[in-house]
Amino acid sequence: MEFPTIFSITEDEIDLNDLLAKITLTSTGAAAIFAGMVRGQTGRGEAHETEYLEYEAYVPMAEAKMKQVAEEIRARWPIVEGIVIVQRIGKLYPKTPTVVIACTAAHRDTGVFDAARYGIDRLKEIVPIWKKEVSPGGEFWVEGEYIPKAGE
Amino acid sequence: MNRVKLLFFATLRDRAGTKSMELDIPANLTVQGLKDKLSMEYPNLKESMSSVLITINREYAFDEAVIPPNAELAMFPPVSGG
Repeated sequence: MEFPTIFSITEDEIDLNDLLAKITLTSTGAAAIFAGMVRGQTGRGEAHETEYLEYEAYVPMAEAKMKQVAEEIRARWPIVEGIVIVQRIGKLYPKTPTVVIACTAAHRDTGVFDAARYGIDRLKEIVPIWKKEVSPGGEFWVEGEYIPKAGE
Repeated sequence: MNRVKLLFFATLRDRAGTKSMELDIPANLTVQGLKDKLSMEYPNLKESMSSVLITINREYAFDEAVIPPNAELAMFPPVSGG
């Protein structure tokens, strides 16, 4: 049987219930879901407030790299059943969900938590998406640190 | 000469002042050669060239890579999704 893999860049609101239903099979007993949202107040490091984040993506490449991340998850955790990788782009305000990574499996002790964690970590390394932070004091592009290697 | 399309994102788009451009480049130009050419012709981009990521036909590419005809190239900073 083919396991469902859903990956997309969207400007629409993320419907978590709908996504979860799409990766729940009759054999599924567990889902690990990571959701990231816009943080309005940052305390760690240099404390600051965020008015909104503006996301953009190189859409066709981003969706191809999301598919690649899903394939990497399947290679490492073959027991994972369904995979969701969705990033919302556009102007997003505090408390708004921006990204969801979800993995399902038959049981919780299958590595499904690690699989979802791997998914968000890899998205932040290789999927071409950027965010501009807009604060009361000004705006700047957030830049990552990861330099992809050949074949990534 | 080869005609290629070059896309810019995030800080690179701000510096270039455009989302994309069409370029005629010598056959067998490498990624490093393209960086050198852009640094000469677009002084605003020069500072970004040391840390920029470059893709050829939607795959990450490195300094030695040769740019094929009709390639879709993109330049952008390290990614920050999530």
